[in-house]
Amino acid sequence: MKPVIYSLLGLLLVASLSCRKTYEALVPYDFTNLPGSGQFGTAVRAVTNGVYTVSNGASEFGDQVALKWTYLHNGADTSYYLSVFTGKDAAYFNLEGTSQTDSLVLGGYWRKLVNDQIGLAQLTLRVKHQGKLQLYKGQLAPGDTMVIDGLYGDKNSKLSHPITLTYNRPLNSRPFSIMAHRSGGRTSDLLPASENSVEIIKLASRLGATGIEVDVRYTKDGVPILYHDNTLNLRLIQKNGLMGPVEDYTYQQLSTFVRLINGEKIPTLEEALETVVNNTALNFVWLDTKYIGPMDKVQAIQQKYRQKALQAGRDLRIIIGLPSTEAVDSYKALANKENTPILCELDTALTRSLGARIWAPRWTLGPQTAEVQAMKAAGLTVFVWTLDEPEFIREFIGQNQFDGILSNYSPVVAFYHYTEQP
Amino acid sequence: MIYRRLQTTSWVVLLLLLSLAVQAQRPSSARRQRRLQAIEADTLTDTRRGPYTVVVTAGGGLSYYSTHLGVPAAIEQTRLSRFGTPSSLRVMWYPDHRLRVGLETGWTTMYSYRGQVAGENTHVYVSAVPILVVFSMPLGWLTGTDRSIARRMAITAGTGLYVNHSRLDYLGTVMTNTNSLGWMAAASYTYPIGRRFRIAGELKWFDAVAVENAAFTAELQLVWRAFSW
Repeated sequence: MKPVIYSLLGLLLVASLSCRKTYEALVPYDFTNLPGSGQFGTAVRAVTNGVYTVSNGASEFGDQVALKWTYLHNGADTSYYLSVFTGKDAAYFNLEGTSQTDSLVLGGYWRKLVNDQIGLAQLTLRVKHQGKLQLYKGQLAPGDTMVIDGLYGDKNSKLSHPITLTYNRPLNSRPFSIMAHRSGGRTSDLLPASENSVEIIKLASRLGATGIEVDVRYTKDGVPILYHDNTLNLRLIQKNGLMGPVEDYTYQQLSTFVRLINGEKIPTLEEALETVVNNTALNFVWLDTKYIGPMDKVQAIQQKYRQKALQAGRDLRIIIGLPSTEAVDSYKALANKENTPILCELDTALTRSLGARIWAPRWTLGPQTAEVQAMKAAGLTVFVWTLDEPEFIREFIGQNQFDGILSNYSPVVAFYHYTEQP
Repeated sequence: MIYRRLQTTSWVVLLLLLSLAVQAQRPSSARRQRRLQAIEADTLTDTRRGPYTVVVTAGGGLSYYSTHLGVPAAIEQTRLSRFGTPSSLRVMWYPDHRLRVGLETGWTTMYSYRGQVAGENTHVYVSAVPILVVFSMPLGWLTGTDRSIARRMAITAGTGLYVNHSRLDYLGTVMTNTNSLGWMAAASYTYPIGRRFRIAGELKWFDAVAVENAAFTAELQLVWRAFSW
């Protein structure tokens, strides 16, 4: 009898351990994405940008935060969003102006990228005038201090915890590239959009990025697409029965059958660049070469969208990244290398010999002070990748050597950059 | 995370089997007393081990895909099938103690679906070939008679590799294989039909963890005690 009992207990144990816990961070706020800035006009947005001291809410978000407005174009319309970058747990806020008329109120959500914490947030713009707190109506007199306060909630509760932000100083204005990995961030970080999708590109600025790195592969019929891994797998796509190398499928097959984790299509490189040029304020696109083979189609697309950006009056750099000797060989095999800006991730000698204008070593190689200074003295830009550790991000920004950081946690890079005091 | 958890589950099952095996080898006090009396009565102390037997099991049956699946929204007139006809081949070493070890392979359909996209026929078919190290033990050991249900019932668990096969027919054919770690658990009842042959019925759960494919199968098996020493 005992073995039967043991077996049943074992089966119960198996059943209980096999229950799958799903991790998700569903955005609890529906953005209206209203065109125009409403009451949050240029002047209001300008005085709101800045570094703020956190009083209520410091235990959750740290003692200072950086507030920055970004925008998204949609045809002739423009929508504005306020991001709050914090120094704790890679937390950020995404907010938009609400339609309340009696006061300037922001609604949205906050999220911590190191876990699945998420919640609503509602903040009101106030001003401390002669020691008294009053609603901000669009005018700041000398000596007034901007105070943004309100409530935030967590997954299980409505707005319940107070938060108060008091203006401290302007954002650090030193030029610096904050580049978001995988077009904005990783799917595994439970962002509202999947990595390497058009939707995450539109979100990238709100996550603190000034530029993005996209992963380029070819389909079987030679269409450059955005996809990071070398196989279709459940880390990146919804279950549909298709597996194996992404290069085994035609674009039509992928377009019909494959949806990324949050339901988006795998975009073509052209769709991605079209979005960058037409919808975003991003100023840098790093085309990471994930494929092995001819580079001519990617080069042609790069040139086409550099032209489009120029025509649109955009200051946009589109660079082909060379992460391996195979990619270098593909670049060398191009018939014409004119108008083909590249970024080299390999050693400095190769970078110079290729005529690359950007050198991008991996961060685990350390600060490489001598090499970085030599390259910068030669007029090159130096980025470092893929740096996600907050302490190292703070240290690298503080050392003021690199011109930019590629990270999965662009809100963290944004926080340390904007709060840095020159 | 899920993957790690299921791996942990496999190890827990394995440890459970091992502990049961150890438990089975440890006689109860009454049994130990009887055994001591028998040993005392025996003037010869036999230290030889065995017999050992290699047992080959082959079977087939019906499978049911028993986890979530996704059919793309773009497909119209979808016909989905969760059923398949699996087959399996297992080679086990039956030692002179309770825990048996061996290798199992086979083939099982996971699922398939058909439909149309803009008038074009589509078909997706997913199957898997498990290559597993398996451990098995009868529920009864040194208890009851050969006719005892507990001695004829066995539980089996294993872990190893699943070669997952996917075939897409839509504007061409794409066939790909993806490897995934996974596990299986089974319960069987074996009925003797001759000196070296038995038939068995086995209920089995296959789980290819990384690709989240899992199927429940019911098989009729022929068990051949290939040779003993």
